[in-house]
Amino acid sequence: MNLGTLNARHIGLIALHWSRHAVRGGAGLVYLMIALVFGLTVAHAVIMPVEQLMAMQKRETGRVDPNGVNSVIVSVGRPIAGFVLGIKSIGESSGPDAPPAGPGPANPFGGVTAQAGDVELDAWTSYLLETRPALLSAIFLILVFGMPFAISFLAFNQVTGDIQSHGLRYLLLRTERGNIYFGRFLGTAAFSTAVMAILIATITLYLGLRVRIYPAAALTAWALRGFLALSFLMLPYIAVCSIISASVDSPFLSLVLAKLTIGGVLLFAVLGGLKWEGLRLVKYALPWGWQNHLLHPEPSHWLAAGLACLVYMVVFLALGYIRFETRDL
Amino acid sequence: MTEGKRPGGLTALAVINFILFASSLLSLASFAFIPKMSTEHMNERQKAQTEAFANMDPSTRAILFASTLVTGVLLLLAGIGYLRQKKFLGRILGSVYAVVAIASSLIAALMMPPDLEGGFNLSTLIGLIYPILTLILVNTTFRDDLTN
Repeated sequence: MNLGTLNARHIGLIALHWSRHAVRGGAGLVYLMIALVFGLTVAHAVIMPVEQLMAMQKRETGRVDPNGVNSVIVSVGRPIAGFVLGIKSIGESSGPDAPPAGPGPANPFGGVTAQAGDVELDAWTSYLLETRPALLSAIFLILVFGMPFAISFLAFNQVTGDIQSHGLRYLLLRTERGNIYFGRFLGTAAFSTAVMAILIATITLYLGLRVRIYPAAALTAWALRGFLALSFLMLPYIAVCSIISASVDSPFLSLVLAKLTIGGVLLFAVLGGLKWEGLRLVKYALPWGWQNHLLHPEPSHWLAAGLACLVYMVVFLALGYIRFETRDL
Repeated sequence: MTEGKRPGGLTALAVINFILFASSLLSLASFAFIPKMSTEHMNERQKAQTEAFANMDPSTRAILFASTLVTGVLLLLAGIGYLRQKKFLGRILGSVYAVVAIASSLIAALMMPPDLEGGFNLSTLIGLIYPILTLILVNTTFRDDLTN
């Protein structure tokens, strides 16, 4: 590893060029489409029932009651959020001590009654659903789970295509391997961050202008936090793709391996964990095991999760760099 | 610019066009089949949607059918144009597709009954993503590649 050859100006130029030409290369276009369609479809699936509820409320009472709507969202979302966060199973969450599960004929808008014993256990769920805009929290939880699967469409071909075509040999007349490797990583991360910004801004604007059940300041603050969480979360996954991209000679193989690695770690941990409890720890090879903590109410948790994203990224990037620096191009 | 130097993004754009063309064929088929479908085993929501579609005003249905047909044909022709890097088939018909698709998305949002998710919502925005991207890309990023 020869970090002395790194040049910040070269890295910046390569990153800028790489992010600007991501769409032209094809990977950026495919990622842009997948990320926007997936993100907006998730948002539509979460928001549409609420819009229908609001339309029903308006038909029946002549006005929309944001507090009533929010109560229904919280009561329906609590067991699901608890399940997603791993606090307890849906069965436990919707048991006799749990708040009402949703609107019924006698109470079309539902209601929430917090149980004293649940307070500590459900602090995280309550934070996501009651303290913060619940709809945005639900969308973030799904995006935090789903976006790592999409990122490999953008990051799979950072250097592997040029290794295959031997095009890097011409670039290496003007700069060093490290500048190319880190520059393209930064360009990929910048493009991913820009796509996240577009996606979250669109969803937040829609919630603020169309649904209008949350104050603008609360929406903006939580949207910013969700944007930072998703942007940081993508970094270790992009770095995993960097290792694979630097290690194989075929872009298609790189894409397949990136998909298998990112999805396989989670699948292996879940299925292996059914047979032997210790295999559940495999999920910590990637951020799967702790990535939800990026949305945790305690600063110690989300700061640690953010820091862990950077540590994972540095480790994966270093491994990829060692391989790229020493391989035959 | 020769065909051999076609950027990967243009190939991706063509592939997406062909996928969307295939999905528009399915949409066209649904215009014929949905009104004849049996609602016996459907849930309430599916029944309401099928009935709303079957009871749709014939002129509205004709407009939606025509716009699906036109955008489908434009997707196919523009996709071929992207692959062959043609100015008329690629850039001009690609732009025409984008404008027609944006207009028909907005018209569909206005004309569709509420049971079929009519009105402006996030699904309208999802429908606008690809036409807007096409309009931007064929006139900026790939402008100099579509010159044959």
